[in-house]
Amino acid sequence: MTTVLEPPAVAPPPPRPRRQRTGWRRRVTARSVVSTITILVLLYLVLGPLIMLVLTAFEDTSGGVVITPPFPWTSQNFIDVFTDSQTYSVLWTTVEFSVGALLFAFVVSLTFSWLIERTDLPARNTVFVFVVAPQGIPGVISAIAWSLLLNPTNGFVNLVLRSVIHSKSTTGPLNVYSLPWMILVQGMALVPLTFLLVTASLRGMNASLEDAARTSGSGFGTIVRRVTLPLLKPAIIGALVYEFVTVVEAVDIPLILGVPGHVTVLSTQIYNASHPPIGLPNYGVGSTYGGFLLILALLPLIAYNRVVGDSGSYVTVTGKTFRPKTQKLGKWKPLAMLFAWGYIFVAFVLPLAILIWASIQPYISTVSKEAIKRSTLGSYRKTLSGDLFITALKNTLILGLSAALGSMVLAVLVSWIIVRSRSRLRWMADVLAFLPHAIPGVVIGLATLLMYLLLPLPIYGTIWIIVIAMGTQYVSLGTRLTTGGIAQIQRSLEEAAEASGARGWQVWWRVLLPLLRPVFLNGFLLVFLASIQNLTLPLMLYSTGNLVMSSLIYTRWDYGDATGTAVLSVVMTAITIVAALLLRRSSGSRMGS
Amino acid sequence: MSAIKVEQLEHCYDDRGRTVTAVDHIDFEVEENEFYTLLGPSGCGKTTTLRCLAGLEQPTSGTISLDDVVVFSSRSVVPTHRRDIGMVFQDYAVWPHMTVFDNVAFPLRVGKRQSSSVIKEKVHEALELVNMDEFAERQATQLSGGQQQRLSLARALVRQPKVLLLDEPLSNLDAKLREQMRKELRMLQRRIKVTTIFVTHDQVEALSMSNRIAVMNRGVIAQVGTPREIYQTPNSEFVAAFVGATTFLRGSYVGPASTPGFVRLETGIGALIAKTDKAMVPGEPVTLAVRPEAIRVTEEENLNPLTNSISAVVDIGLFIGEAVDYHIYVGDELIRVKGSPHSRFRRRDKVFLEIPPEECVLIHTPTSAVESPLDEPEPIFDPTVEIV
Ligand SMILES: Nc1ncnc2c1ncn2[C@@H]1O[C@H](COP(=O)(O)OP(=O)(O)OP(=O)(O)O)[C@@H](O)[C@H]1O
Ligand SMILES: [Mg+2]
Repeated sequence: MTTVLEPPAVAPPPPRPRRQRTGWRRRVTARSVVSTITILVLLYLVLGPLIMLVLTAFEDTSGGVVITPPFPWTSQNFIDVFTDSQTYSVLWTTVEFSVGALLFAFVVSLTFSWLIERTDLPARNTVFVFVVAPQGIPGVISAIAWSLLLNPTNGFVNLVLRSVIHSKSTTGPLNVYSLPWMILVQGMALVPLTFLLVTASLRGMNASLEDAARTSGSGFGTIVRRVTLPLLKPAIIGALVYEFVTVVEAVDIPLILGVPGHVTVLSTQIYNASHPPIGLPNYGVGSTYGGFLLILALLPLIAYNRVVGDSGSYVTVTGKTFRPKTQKLGKWKPLAMLFAWGYIFVAFVLPLAILIWASIQPYISTVSKEAIKRSTLGSYRKTLSGDLFITALKNTLILGLSAALGSMVLAVLVSWIIVRSRSRLRWMADVLAFLPHAIPGVVIGLATLLMYLLLPLPIYGTIWIIVIAMGTQYVSLGTRLTTGGIAQIQRSLEEAAEASGARGWQVWWRVLLPLLRPVFLNGFLLVFLASIQNLTLPLMLYSTGNLVMSSLIYTRWDYGDATGTAVLSVVMTAITIVAALLLRRSSGSRMGS
Repeated sequence: MSAIKVEQLEHCYDDRGRTVTAVDHIDFEVEENEFYTLLGPSGCGKTTTLRCLAGLEQPTSGTISLDDVVVFSSRSVVPTHRRDIGMVFQDYAVWPHMTVFDNVAFPLRVGKRQSSSVIKEKVHEALELVNMDEFAERQATQLSGGQQQRLSLARALVRQPKVLLLDEPLSNLDAKLREQMRKELRMLQRRIKVTTIFVTHDQVEALSMSNRIAVMNRGVIAQVGTPREIYQTPNSEFVAAFVGATTFLRGSYVGPASTPGFVRLETGIGALIAKTDKAMVPGEPVTLAVRPEAIRVTEEENLNPLTNSISAVVDIGLFIGEAVDYHIYVGDELIRVKGSPHSRFRRRDKVFLEIPPEECVLIHTPTSAVESPLDEPEPIFDPTVEIV
């Protein structure tokens, strides 16, 4: 801090004429230094990779990325991409895949929300827990589980079906390596979060509006169509936009289920261009596809902001919670229960069961006396004592902890700038912290990869490149939480500390951070959980030195080791479910205080 | 030598590109151990002034000295934590994650190193001052509003600051507690002798507690004076109207009265005699402010030439316990009078209003030819009771 204490005897400054402005003295304070550094870090993390992506898209990279001048600038990548008829079929498949999965997820989530919040469905709380539970299963693992269940040659369900219908065929009848099944599996993977987002606003919605419609003589269908859904519109659209990015950015399900069936979407196209099974990677073409995906992800977001712009009129959706009158299901009750528990069985129990079954079997078979006799924990012993597993577990911990810590620390600083500072760069912090949310993970992965190919930092190929990309990706999520958290802390609590003689860091350390601790912890666990589940970034930035659990699982699967994969998946699911339980407790205690 | 000296203080907020001048070049000085009140309507810039003193806002221009140390000028800024102040916030700003003890100990712990036994002693001393010693180990969130208020006062005093800044500390309390705290706060301040700036919009608070009051309006100081001066000789319609109910009478100067020091005026309710030392020219427009409790309602005319006795008709008399609130017409003009609780005039009663000349306060109107240095040519705040 630059403080000049003047001696008491100083002469008063000459009286200035009225209205003369001295202007803002630019002072270098600890605050402005921290703000500036934070914004510079954000700029580096977010804009750096994006600039690299754009530059690479205009570079001829058929012979690898050129890292010293002269740069071979070209528009060939765009010509290649636009003239390739495959581009259009991939785009179309991406649209089909994402729209299908979102449709499935929203129909299921809305139905569950309504059943749980508004009807007398038995055991609603249990149903709630089981609908959310699959959030603990990473996408890569659920894709593997479904492959174990439904692959055409020895998928468990196919084996059972073939023996039931006495088929002599060696394949089918079901084939998970096809677009419809991919949509279904992706849809189920989206349900937990979609459900959480939608159900929160349905709970907050004033049920008397529905009652008013009922007393004015509307039937059930009319009420849902004319009152409930329109009122939920902002929440539904918000969730749609969020989940859309999730679908188009992920490589897990498209890689595991799409590649064997030759179903390619944009994310796998980018992955293939930058990680071809044979030959050199073509980063230029990959970047061009990345640009496409970025635009595809941004379009709904822009549309969303326009819709939300006029949603101030939805004042009836308040935070008030009270139990509205429940709809009696009557004769529909058995059907509703069948739907609820049937779905839970298919989406949660079945995948977990097949993973456990596969992990104790030397090879996949139906359940039989002999098969049970064959059961062994041998593969657990073998897999879990391997060096790869130990390395991956260690790396996963490093990744989860560092990414969570890094992005949350950055998030707190950014939120503080947004909420508290009068810095002129506030808007910039706001935009920069929001951007990573709109950038598909596969694009962040590619762009980060390109950046550290170029920069002379010893990061490429280590776990830290994944940490950086992951931290960047989740800084948006963290900022959303901490901005709310800081906004809830009255400003005068900080000012009172200053007026009590506390310096800047003492205000942070003794007042702000202790008050933020619950929010920080909650965000930390959320980012931790999301980071260790994420396959996209570890795979995009994969090299032998930075194996984590999710990429280990994928490579074992790719290698053809079904039992080893199943063992790892069971272990990983156990870890994530424990983390998720911790998360539930931490967010629970936040509401309590 | 003054404890606080503010010169040409200006503060502008930037409100989405628009500049809002909250404090407009004000000057004032506060003596050592004085209880100095900033009084004014909502939005007049009291809080902003106080925050500038605390260093929580950086003024656009001006000079501030605390205890003869320049803490803000165009050349130097002393940050808040280096200013020797204690501050009580309107919402108390009690830290919810600390106990009562930790809250009060905070200013000592962040300051220069002291042994924990010294800290303990000082904290208990401060808590005793506000009668909160028995609550030391409580969590701060488990206190009532009044207790939180005392706690934040103890926290502000524990460092024994040179200057105590209070921003409407009593406004969140219920009426009874407020009255009690008013007395306690004033007695405490007198006992421990600390220069205090007190911000309020409550005239009763200001009048009953202060050594001096600065009445603020739209970012400028309208008048500075002791409570009696402010109440009895307001220098503008704004001050008169803001500090208590007032009837305003417009008129013009006629000439000197038979007794020196008194003048004759012509007003909307007839000829009046008023006391003033001001030199005026005949025909000069004047405004008179008359407090409702300065007027007596009588049945008979008072024929003393050195008093005003005016024939009037009662419109309504409202018995309010300690007085009767009369609405009385003189011709077409309504005048409010606070009559004795024993008087029983009724509607349409013919009465006389007795207005002692020394209670007719001449105030300077914006059109007045003579201006006192304190007078601010600002638009006039809408008075609640006004007669034109
Ligand atoms: N952060 C701010 N940004 C823009 N304008 C502000 C800000 N804070 C205050 N103002 C404006 O400055 C003026 C003075 O505000 P101030 O808070 O000092 O008033 P006050 O006298 O304390 O009022 P009150 O009695 O309501 O607390 C008001 O017009 C207010 O709208
Ligand atoms: Mg105020």
